[in-house]
Amino acid sequence: MTTSKPKDLDKIAREAQRAILDAASLDALEEARRAYLGRRGLVAQLFDQVPSLPAAQRPQAGRQLNELRDRLERAVTRRREELQAAAPGTGLAAEAIDVTLPGRRISLGRQHILTRTLEEIERIFFGMGFEIVDGTEVETDEFNFERLNMGRDHPARDTQDSFYLADDLLLRTHTTVVDAHVMVGRTPPMRVLSTGRCYRRDAPDATHMPVFHQADGFMVGERITMADLKGVLAAFVRRMFGSEAVYRFVPSYFPFTEPSAELAIWFNGRWLELAGSGMFHPRVLEMAGIDPARYTAFAFGLGVDRPAMVRYGIPDIRLFWDNDLRLLEQF
Amino acid sequence: MKVLLSWLKEYVDIGHGIDELGERLPMLGIGVDSIERVRDDAAFDLEVAANRGDLMCHLGVARELAAATRIAARPPAGNPRTDSTTASDFVRVEVREPALCPRFTAALIVDVKVGPSPEWMARRLEACGVRSINNVVDVTNYVMLELGQPMHAFDYDLVQDGRLVVRLAAPGERLTTLDGVDRSLDPQTLVVADAGRAAGIAGIIGGANTEIRASTRRVLLEAASWHPPLIRRTGKRLGVRTESGARFERGIDTGAVLSASLRAQQLIQEVAGGRVLSGTLDVYPSPQPKHQVQMAWPSVARLLGTAVAQADGVAILRSLGCEVQEGHANLVVTVPSFRRDVERVEDLVEDVARHYGYERIPEHMPVEETALASRAPVLEAERIVRGVLIRAGLTEALTVSLTTPAVLDGLRLPADHPWRSMVPLRNPLIKDHTHLRTTLLPGLLQVARVNVSRRVTDAQIFELGRTFHPSGTSVAERRRLALLMTGRVLRGAWNVPPEVAVASYFHLKGAVESLLHELRVGGAVFAAAPVPWLHPARGATMSLDGRTVGTLGELHPEVAAAYDLPSSVHVAELDLEVLLPRANFLPQFVPLPRFPAVRRDLAAIIADDVPAAEVERLIAEAGGSLLASVELFDVYTGPPVPAGHHNLAYALSFRSSERTLSAEEVDAAVRRITETLTRRLRAKIRR
Repeated sequence: MTTSKPKDLDKIAREAQRAILDAASLDALEEARRAYLGRRGLVAQLFDQVPSLPAAQRPQAGRQLNELRDRLERAVTRRREELQAAAPGTGLAAEAIDVTLPGRRISLGRQHILTRTLEEIERIFFGMGFEIVDGTEVETDEFNFERLNMGRDHPARDTQDSFYLADDLLLRTHTTVVDAHVMVGRTPPMRVLSTGRCYRRDAPDATHMPVFHQADGFMVGERITMADLKGVLAAFVRRMFGSEAVYRFVPSYFPFTEPSAELAIWFNGRWLELAGSGMFHPRVLEMAGIDPARYTAFAFGLGVDRPAMVRYGIPDIRLFWDNDLRLLEQF
Repeated sequence: MKVLLSWLKEYVDIGHGIDELGERLPMLGIGVDSIERVRDDAAFDLEVAANRGDLMCHLGVARELAAATRIAARPPAGNPRTDSTTASDFVRVEVREPALCPRFTAALIVDVKVGPSPEWMARRLEACGVRSINNVVDVTNYVMLELGQPMHAFDYDLVQDGRLVVRLAAPGERLTTLDGVDRSLDPQTLVVADAGRAAGIAGIIGGANTEIRASTRRVLLEAASWHPPLIRRTGKRLGVRTESGARFERGIDTGAVLSASLRAQQLIQEVAGGRVLSGTLDVYPSPQPKHQVQMAWPSVARLLGTAVAQADGVAILRSLGCEVQEGHANLVVTVPSFRRDVERVEDLVEDVARHYGYERIPEHMPVEETALASRAPVLEAERIVRGVLIRAGLTEALTVSLTTPAVLDGLRLPADHPWRSMVPLRNPLIKDHTHLRTTLLPGLLQVARVNVSRRVTDAQIFELGRTFHPSGTSVAERRRLALLMTGRVLRGAWNVPPEVAVASYFHLKGAVESLLHELRVGGAVFAAAPVPWLHPARGATMSLDGRTVGTLGELHPEVAAAYDLPSSVHVAELDLEVLLPRANFLPQFVPLPRFPAVRRDLAAIIADDVPAAEVERLIAEAGGSLLASVELFDVYTGPPVPAGHHNLAYALSFRSSERTLSAEEVDAAVRRITETLTRRLRAKIRR
């Protein structure tokens, strides 16, 4: 009996690894396994020598042999898997898939581009501390017009030709009517936004629909000015259309604001109207029970549909309501 | 309204080029629709605000341009050479409705030669979109475009008794107007009549019976001011839009009616000759004093958020025609009569701001006490509902809320169905939009029809919107949700059985269940029920606590055919007013299980007509508190299962939160279940 040195063990390990890796078939691998790891294999023989070693060397020799055996067993397993995988018609190779076949795709749902635009607007004003409120689409003449300083014969009513349901009941022509409701019974300060459907008696064509969307906001306080209106709307424009957006405020006329301003952005070589706005007319505040001597308020009404058309290059407003899925899926 | 650059230059010096002017006018609040170049001149088509009648003429626009450089415009002269004969010897005026006609003037010009206008006048009129007729009529239009005062010229010799009477029309009275239309008048219409008959509709259009013709020698010239609401109502009622009506309904300068008449008299004399009789008749019973507004100068900064120098503000107001008495920071502003829109200090602040420049007002973020931003809970709920359906693979559609009762016929609705009770529009515009919708289904079916007709046959869509229902004298709005599914729900569905890949009732129900799950609404009961628009054997209602929430199922073949849809379309409609109040948006933590579950499979052969929901209910009841979940995993029909029966296979899961269950406990529970199913449903349990 010779005493095996660590050096010998390393040599045996290298030779065994080589034999395992070189095995070209499962049979050859089995032969190599038997030679080293079999019941009469080399490793078993080495184990048999351990009891004959000096007592002090035995634990270390046993440990080294165990490690060697584990390492070789792992090598055999790995090589077997390789050989099996390579063998045609056998093992994992038979489980091959054509990775180029189309994937199974659950069709993804999408939000309508208009409600998404409304949510975007809401999110921006929410970020500026606005309270987002809900309103009804059926309104009284009193709130839709009178409380916004548009009496029965006001010429501005012509541009807001309305659908009436009864003498005093109509489909709201603007979301500004929600402002008139919200202000009643509340104490300033307030900053409020509402969005939704509005109705005007327009025959459908490429740029008109009897139903359209608006987002309307206002802010009341003791120190609210036109400069604040410009600041808030400019912040909105930059967030919605990018910081390089070009916009302007020009004088305009709305019966419920004085002074009044129109916000437009420069888009594709022309000014696109985005919002009507201004400082709430003192009569509007009075009718809502807010003292105009103490408080001032700005208000604005943003168009939604036409800016969305321009922004997304949609040529005809009726396409929004057509709901061709090929269009909806583009956005 | 069109203005000519060359014409404006008669009243104000304009240093800007055409394009620059086109940019500057909007900065003053005068919209420019288009600019048309004519040689070295340009016609600006302006958009004038509804409250600015004074801008409906060249002088008005010139005033604004002048004020931009803090100077005043130069109004044209109106000094006819008058004859010694007085008009009142030939003309009588009677205003019977002074409230509707605050001022009425009449002038008489004799020995006039009616003929074509001089070329300069005709060209200006035509550039402004007004047809040249003859020199006399053209002068009335010219002065209207110049000063904003519409006028009317009568042939004096056709006016009976030389009398003009402002009165309401008599019932059944008729008048052929200058546009050749024979109109039947009503007693709400104000007319200018002669001794016997109507000769014109006040403020809107003249009558053919007294019009200026080639043979006219004596011209009776009317210039008046009318009550704007009257003109607006009459114009709408008659459906007549004239240049004259557009100005009177905004309101003209009542204080300047006479001077405008004089200007016209002078021009008639110039272009048609003749003698102007002296003493223009002027019925102006209650002249309006000029309006005065107290203006505390700090109110400018209070509204604008920037300080405008008081001296500049005063200069602006003066150049706009106001008289300003300056005290220390307190102004008394006397408003010119042409500015009918200026009532209070805010109106003056706007004038100052316009000419100071909106672009010079700084952008500032509000400094105010802030509250937490918030969203109305119902809007938040809507957003969640939308999100669930989108995650479930449906695409949002929006359809118009205006509809017509006929669409309900396509749904096979019985005559007494509540959806037939619709709110009509009083003044519909088109025949497809006469009522408010009571259901979202026809809209979604129409969307499906449009898509299918374009060969887009895979459609899973929903709409979240409002329906409208009569409620006493008012209208109730309800939030509703409709779903529609047809075609493939899975792309790349090679080798996938169609019951998985193609939308079915169960896909639809699955979407509804996902919604219920996400809203954490339990206890929904689905039950087969006849629904008019659904397949008689494939329709269901869903209810919560005994309240119907909505319906779901396969579309009735007749309805599908009516909408040109294939047979396999599935629709649901739910009332969110019932569903949302039951939703729970604040889930509470439920401890995760600490002990393992024990699974047992159970297969039972049960008659086809027993609803699966009933089987599940009995399993849950008999399984007791240890039964954690029941999941159906197979439904099998065919041998050896007897005809009229099917085999339902369930995976039952048992669990206790306190201990690991013993086999005996689970066996006992399963036994109770099998006994119950056997006894109550005559089920055969398969081992």
